[in-house]
Amino acid sequence: MTKGVLLFCFDTADTKYHSILERCVRLVKKNLKLPITVVTNFETFKRMKPMGFINYKFIEPELGNTKSGKEWNNVDRHMAYELSPYDTTLVKDIDYFCFTDNLLQFLDTDYDFLVPDTAYDLSGRNTFDQRRWSMIPMVWATVLVFKKNHKVKKIFETVKYIKQYYSYFNDMYRVYSKNLRNDYLFAMALQQINGFTGYDKLPLALPTLPPDCEVLKITDTGLAWKHDDKISYVENQDVHVLNKELSNV
Amino acid sequence: MDFRELKKQSDLSYDIAVAKRNALEKANARLVVVYNEHIFRADSETINLVKTLSEVSTVPFYVLDSNNNPVEISDPKEFLQILVQRNQEAISSYHQMSKTFEKKK
Repeated sequence: MTKGVLLFCFDTADTKYHSILERCVRLVKKNLKLPITVVTNFETFKRMKPMGFINYKFIEPELGNTKSGKEWNNVDRHMAYELSPYDTTLVKDIDYFCFTDNLLQFLDTDYDFLVPDTAYDLSGRNTFDQRRWSMIPMVWATVLVFKKNHKVKKIFETVKYIKQYYSYFNDMYRVYSKNLRNDYLFAMALQQINGFTGYDKLPLALPTLPPDCEVLKITDTGLAWKHDDKISYVENQDVHVLNKELSNV
Repeated sequence: MDFRELKKQSDLSYDIAVAKRNALEKANARLVVVYNEHIFRADSETINLVKTLSEVSTVPFYVLDSNNNPVEISDPKEFLQILVQRNQEAISSYHQMSKTFEKKK
């Protein structure tokens, strides 16, 4: 049984995602010690520094999605099942930094598909109370763990179906944001494929820094950020960073 | 009364409270442990349940994991050891962080 990490990375006109990837890969190698496959395009690949042994899968990202008016190439996550070369895969956003090995153990469970449904605001403001923004409880597709089997294949087929008719489903579930978010895409698919009942979740609240927190420094053990003229830091704790200026730190 | 001093103290208290919450959340994340292909929280409730069942029940016994799925426990001693080890790793780290907050007050 093979296990590994699948990462998606596409530079945009505004953000050098490849430099975020370089930090992400270093931490995955240090703390998870798993094989890594990066899904990217040639344009982004050419800008990456050598990162040691990594598998690459080249695709052209589907364009058209935006976030805060900027290009946002995030809509290829539905292809994770086909693109992963592993029997058990950890898919995570490249801006989720593994300062611990906490995620590693979830690749050794009996579960076919796991996703967290809560995030924790490290700035102390509880800004991720998502229930106000839709009629469906959101999941955080920032981190997914899945096995390759018949059931999971059906989950991803449902994800593809909902993606195809996303504006319809987005209206039906009264999702406030009109752009495509994997968090809602997977939440809808999991609800539909599980017969509108519950589904198994990762019992983790993803430690997350909201977009208005400016990252000042990242080391191999943690990071420091500034918000409202206050500087805070965490060490030896995983962090999902939403401020993409991070690529310039 | 110096309002600037009061605001400074208030800001400091807020910063400490947020840092303490983050440290507690870090401990909570570390309490999650996989055993026998199932996910558990190595908290006082799980530890007490496993300890009690290992004393008054026959082996194997059954507990619920974090998604309320039943799991057979055939080696309670090993399971309890893992739970206690993870619990103390997480809480002692939180304790160390708490000491640094005390100094800042």
